[in-house]
Amino acid sequence: MPREHLNYIRPLNPREIFFKDWESIQTRILVVGEISQSQNRIIFEVKVYDVKSERMILGKRYQAEPDVYRLVAHRVADELMKLYGEKPFFTSKIVFVSNRDGNDELYMMDYDGANQTRLTFNKWRDYMPAWSPDQRAIAFTSYRARNPDLYILYPYEGKLVPVSTRGTNFSGAFSPDGKKLAFCSTRDGNSEIYVANADGSNVRRITFNSAIDTAPSWSPTGREIAFTSDRTGTPQIYIMDAEGGNVRKVSFGGNYLDAPAWSPDGERIAFVSRVDNFFDLYILNLKTNKITKLTETKARNESPSWSPDGRHIIFSSNLSGSIQIYSVDYDASNLRCMTSQGENKLANWTN
Amino acid sequence: MKKFLVLFLTVILVLSFAASCKKKAKEVPPPPPPQAQEQPKVEKVEEPVLKEPVLTEEEIFMRKTLEEINQEKPLAMIHFDYDKYNIRPDAVPVLEANSSWLKKHPTVKILIEGHCDERGTEEYNLSLGEKRAKSTMEYLMSLGISADRIRIISYGKSQPLDPGHDETAWAKNRRAQFLIIEK
Repeated sequence: MPREHLNYIRPLNPREIFFKDWESIQTRILVVGEISQSQNRIIFEVKVYDVKSERMILGKRYQAEPDVYRLVAHRVADELMKLYGEKPFFTSKIVFVSNRDGNDELYMMDYDGANQTRLTFNKWRDYMPAWSPDQRAIAFTSYRARNPDLYILYPYEGKLVPVSTRGTNFSGAFSPDGKKLAFCSTRDGNSEIYVANADGSNVRRITFNSAIDTAPSWSPTGREIAFTSDRTGTPQIYIMDAEGGNVRKVSFGGNYLDAPAWSPDGERIAFVSRVDNFFDLYILNLKTNKITKLTETKARNESPSWSPDGRHIIFSSNLSGSIQIYSVDYDASNLRCMTSQGENKLANWTN
Repeated sequence: MKKFLVLFLTVILVLSFAASCKKKAKEVPPPPPPQAQEQPKVEKVEEPVLKEPVLTEEEIFMRKTLEEINQEKPLAMIHFDYDKYNIRPDAVPVLEANSSWLKKHPTVKILIEGHCDERGTEEYNLSLGEKRAKSTMEYLMSLGISADRIRIISYGKSQPLDPGHDETAWAKNRRAQFLIIEK
C-alpha cells in the first residue's frame, strides 16, 4: 500500500476505529496492536478486524517480561499466519550444524538467524539434524559411540533416544504428521531407506536395491517419499509410495542430483545438482515438469530445506569461502547469509 | 735347479707374505684407536641391543601401544576414483602387503575408514565412504583375512587429509585408511 494513502485515515484510536476510512483505501484486514506496561511486565494486546464487516476476527492479549517482546511480536505474527491457513513461521526454529566451538555440534536459531543456541555438547561429530513437525524432537546422526548412529534428541526435555546403531545411519526425516521417521541405514549391508515410528520403534525397510538409496524427503501429504538413488549409475531423484512401492525417476538432465526437499505446497522439489565442480540448487516443478535454477554462484550450494510457508529455502554454501547458511526466496531473490561464526551447514527448517 | 727355483720362490713368497703380514700387523694398531675412541658409544648402544634379541618380533609388537603401532602406519591407505568405490589396480599391491602384515599379526583387528572428497552432498558421500570401506574389506577377505577382524566406518567428506580445493587434494582425500583397534 502506498504510504501517502495513510493521509486519508483519521488518527487511529483503538476504542473508535473509522472502518470506512480504511475501506476507502481498499484495506481488507486491519491489525491493531497496543502495548502497555505494568509492574515490570509488558502487556501486548492485538486485535484483527475485517474492515468491510467491521468485525473483530481475532483478539489476543500477551503478558511477558520486557526482554521477550521479540517472542511476543513473533507469536502475534504467527497468529496472523494461522488466520490465513499457514503454518507458524516467525516462531519456527532452524536446526543446523556448526563447528564454532571446536567440532561439529547441533545448534538452533530463529527464522531470521537470531538467537543462535548450542544444543549438543561432546567431542564427537553430531550432524544431519531434522526437526519433527512439532519442533519437540530432532533426528540426527552422531559418532558419539564411535559409529555413525541415528538418535532422536528432545532438546526441551534433555532426552536422547538411539534409533539405529548398526552400520551407517543418517538422513533422518520426520513425516509431516509427525508419526513416522524415515532414515537411511546400511544396517543390512547396503545403503537403504527405512521407516520407523516417530519414537524410533518398529523399524522396517522400504527399499531393496543394491545401489545407494538415500536422502528421504516426505511429501506434505505423507503418502510419498522423494529420495536419491544411483541405481542407474549416477545419483538421481526418485519418488516412491511411503511403503516403498511404485518407484519412479523424476529427475532428468544431470548426472549428479541429490538432497531432494519436497516443498510444503507439494508441487515442487528442491535439489542439488553438480555441473563440473559446482553444486547449485534447482527446483523441479512436479506439475509442469520444468526445472529452474535457484542459485548461480560458482560455489558448492548444498542441503536445501524449505521454510514452513514455502516462501524461502535455506541451504549451505561456500560462496564467501567458508561454509555458511544462506536463505533465498523460492524465486531466487533476497539471497542473504544467516551465520558467520565458524562453519555452518546442514540447516533444517521444519515444514 | 728347478726344485731350487721353486723353493726360492716359495721362500720369497713366504717372506713377502710374512712382510705383508707384518705390514698388516703394523697397520692394525691404527684402527684400534678409533675403535677405542668409539668404544664408549658402542657400549651405550650395546645395552638395548643385548636386550632386544631376547624378544621375538611378536613380543616387540605386543609391547607397543595401539597408538604407537598406528603411528608407524604399518597398513598403507588406498585411493579411489571420483564417485567410485571399486579397488583400483594401483591399490592391489597395497592391499596384498596389508593382508600379509595382518597374517603375520593374526590377533590384530582393524577399522577401515572410508573417506570422500568435498565434491558431493553429505548424504551421498556418507554412503559412498561406506561403499569404499566395504569394498576394501571385501578385498582383504578375498586375500584370506577373516571378516571378524575387520570393522568399517564412513566419515563421508568430513575428514579431508588435504584441505585444498583442487584435483590433487581431492585425489588424496578419496581414500580408505586403516586403524588398528585391537592386537
